[in-house]
Amino acid sequence: MAHIVRRAFRSLWENLYLNLVSCGVIAASVLMIGVFLMVMYNLNAITHSWASDVHVSAYFRQDVPAERCFELKEQVAAMPGVESVRYVSEQEARAYLVAQVPETESVMAELGSGVLPASLEITLEPSKAREQGLQEMVAALALPELEEVDYGQQWVERFNSFLALLRLLGVILGGLIALAAVFLVANTIHLVVYSRRTELETMRLVGATDDTIMAPFLIEGLVQGVLGAGLGVIALVAVHRWVILRLQQALELTLAEDPLAYLPIDYTLSLLLVGALLGVLGAWSAVYRFLAKAP
Amino acid sequence: MIRLYHASKTYGDHAALQDINLKVAKGEFCYITGPSGAGKTTLLKLLYAAEKPSEGKVMVGGVDVSTLTRRRRPYLRRNIGVIFQDFKLIPSRTVAENVSLSMEVLGYPRATIQRRVRAVLSIVGLKGKEGNLPAHLSGGEQQRVAVARAIVNDPAVLLADEPTGNLDGAMAIEVIEILQAINLRGTTVLVATHDMALMDRFPYRALRFVQGKIVRERPCRL
Repeated sequence: MAHIVRRAFRSLWENLYLNLVSCGVIAASVLMIGVFLMVMYNLNAITHSWASDVHVSAYFRQDVPAERCFELKEQVAAMPGVESVRYVSEQEARAYLVAQVPETESVMAELGSGVLPASLEITLEPSKAREQGLQEMVAALALPELEEVDYGQQWVERFNSFLALLRLLGVILGGLIALAAVFLVANTIHLVVYSRRTELETMRLVGATDDTIMAPFLIEGLVQGVLGAGLGVIALVAVHRWVILRLQQALELTLAEDPLAYLPIDYTLSLLLVGALLGVLGAWSAVYRFLAKAP
Repeated sequence: MIRLYHASKTYGDHAALQDINLKVAKGEFCYITGPSGAGKTTLLKLLYAAEKPSEGKVMVGGVDVSTLTRRRRPYLRRNIGVIFQDFKLIPSRTVAENVSLSMEVLGYPRATIQRRVRAVLSIVGLKGKEGNLPAHLSGGEQQRVAVARAIVNDPAVLLADEPTGNLDGAMAIEVIEILQAINLRGTTVLVATHDMALMDRFPYRALRFVQGKIVRERPCRL
């Protein structure tokens, strides 16, 4: 084992330029995957905060007395998954509408009372503020006293579809980046293998097994992978600090209240693991190609 | 030690070896001779399992090379030393490192490797040149490094493909003398060559190949 590790590190040193190229390729790939992960992570966080803001509005029929409305308010508040319920009287609704659209004041005055229904503004617990939870709530609110239940269904559905599409694109893009990285790393290591073909052919001739020949290259790939991924993560931190945050400030992006976050530690560790895997897979693929052809 | 039964090797339409029957006894020294393209190298490739016969059977040290799996191939090769005309030395490694490679891949301890490499370099007359790079050696010395690398694991069979092809007369004689010394220690030696002068100077058994067939056999005259 000692001589395998020795051979690996000797080769890393002797083929320094090619190995640095491999590290660079892995670093660039990890950076690209990392930027995409960071975008997805922040989008998910924003969606989560938006989702917790989803309200269900339940509109009363005109003939339901106020006492019954308050009874129903208590009833709804006791339902599972409901965080809070606010009763909005017709007057409050009218005042809100006029405040939002002042031009409607004269129309409202002309129409008199009984135009806008009283309603319950229901805020759901974040875990319930998803498509299924909303559907369940709508079903539970199928009461004779209520005329209509609205929760911006189309908007939520569209946004969820958009996010699903984005995730799918992420998986495809991440996969393509990883494949390209494996290909580039494999070709770089293939150059190292080619430059050492006499040594490897000799090793085969004197009875080295494929595993013995492969092992130092896998160690080389692992070292390249971890170093490359480390560089990629450092670059990602720099991109987050110096580019993304500044861009957010410059464009005054107010998608979220907080600045766009850097990835949590488990994501960072995953990126290092991805880098290590890219290096090992690249090395394996290059040496496998050589061994398959060698006599 | 070596047996071929109706062995043939074809590459597409070209028959490199045709219906070869051959027996080389343990401890024997034997030449394989003939013009270029006669099948000498192909025969050696069959013996160290770089190629499989298209037909027939090839046995080396009791192992049937014809049916040898890829996984078992290294274990056969540990019993066979191979020497090439172009030496196949690693230019960036010293003499000692080139020779020790054969032992390193088999996982020998460092101390054993150093002791054995010193002994073998002494046998081939390269004592004191352990730290030299191949480029700083003469052709004859480089071939002696290749011989040392081939015998350091004490193989039962030594195959040499035109080992003197790149050497002048005196150096060629030196190399054959070393192979002779190794043979005297019990190793079966098979040398592919077309150097008639050498074969006359060291008149061991010789098999002449032409167009993939054995056309003549000269018995050992020693």
